[in-house]
Amino acid sequence: MFEISNLTLSVNNKELFNNLNLKINSGEIHVLMGKNGVGKSSIAKAIMGDNNYKVDGSIKYNGKEITKMSISDRAKEGIYLLNQSPIQVEGVTNAEMLRLALGEKTGKNVNIFEFSKELEKICQDLELDKSFIHREINVGCSGGERKKIELMHMWMLKPSMIILDEVDSGLDVDAIKLVGNSLKKYYELYKPTILIITHTASILNMFEHYKVHLLNNKGIILTKDESFAKEILDKGFKKILEEYDTFVISEN
Amino acid sequence: MNKLLVSDIIDIEKGEYILNCQKKDLTINIKGEVTIYLVNELLNKLKIILTRDSVLKLYKFNKEINEDLEVDIIQNDCSKIFYNEAFINNSKHKLIINNLIKGNNNESIINIRNISNKDLSKIIINVNIEKDTINNIALEDLKGTINGGFIHIEPNIVASSNDIKAEHFTTIGGLDQSLIDYLMSKGINKENCKKILLKGFIFSNMDNYILKSFGGD
Repeated sequence: MFEISNLTLSVNNKELFNNLNLKINSGEIHVLMGKNGVGKSSIAKAIMGDNNYKVDGSIKYNGKEITKMSISDRAKEGIYLLNQSPIQVEGVTNAEMLRLALGEKTGKNVNIFEFSKELEKICQDLELDKSFIHREINVGCSGGERKKIELMHMWMLKPSMIILDEVDSGLDVDAIKLVGNSLKKYYELYKPTILIITHTASILNMFEHYKVHLLNNKGIILTKDESFAKEILDKGFKKILEEYDTFVISEN
Repeated sequence: MNKLLVSDIIDIEKGEYILNCQKKDLTINIKGEVTIYLVNELLNKLKIILTRDSVLKLYKFNKEINEDLEVDIIQNDCSKIFYNEAFINNSKHKLIINNLIKGNNNESIINIRNISNKDLSKIIINVNIEKDTINNIALEDLKGTINGGFIHIEPNIVASSNDIKAEHFTTIGGLDQSLIDYLMSKGINKENCKKILLKGFIFSNMDNYILKSFGGD
């Protein structure tokens, strides 16, 4: 289970959220939706341990407090962030990075033959040329290629919780389908916990059952089932938030 | 690949050579297309003379350098030099390269990568293009990563001719924290992240031979 309790999140002395709460049972898919700039990606980065964010409160994964853990220890616990804009790492190849990461995770030397075979199969499934295995991470790659490379890393590292931060941004329809199918296949195979952060929701077509949380600058204000995503897309954030304000006033 | 045990002066025509230097002063006369590897050789003085129509690709790598080095490169007509040097200093160190371009239609590309682990590393690159010359190209790409030491880089290009393309790029900095964070997010501890980033940086101007032979260290 993944649980955020009474979380206060700030960056550069500016408070983004106060008393944020979120609970996701193992194997569930949850979606965070909200307008641009509301702080969705900040939540993803804070979960991963980005030092630019000051965090007060608790983040637990599988019963373990991870709030004070380093980024790499959180990753070793099984949390994986699929970045909105993966950065390029000059001088470090995908194979080199993955060998090192797997070696640290398992505490054993990586069997090069099996490692290469698995990577080649993943590249084939992702329609990614095999040459990417020995290329520098994301260097000279298009937005679509970078997302596929992040998926390649995910398939190799086999995380138990995945945070998808605007994974559909900058992708054409075919790429969204391919990325979505890959994520769906991974979900069916390994049943990870998934937190999807999106404002366009195009990736959600790939999943059947999930919970949708609406986020504004106060935190999560509404949680409903998957039909809520369609409602938000149909009405728009502005109208949904106005309806919510009217509802709150009438309740009071 | 030819391995050559060299004394103080050598003429090289065509081919790829790994030089094993017996002395700390070396003069190399280049004719034709030549690739030279100088790996972990500790020289104080290196003189390279490129004859007309010659091309030299030089890869000089020092895992740990503790000797100051002065390099003189003399180019005449229609020659090309791709001078690639990468080194790590754990003590005070000075590298001076003086590249004199005398004739026409020459190309000089100087790539330096330095990791300074301790003390000051001083890198001074002087490219001088003589007057009344035409169609020469000079490019300096000088990068230093501070890892406990200091780096001072002077990229100098003196052009006495107005028919020249000359550029220099110089960067000095520590490791980019966002790169460390990105690699850590894959489950690699901070020390190992730094190691592979430094390794990637120091070999970034070396070719496959150097990378395969020494990249695993």
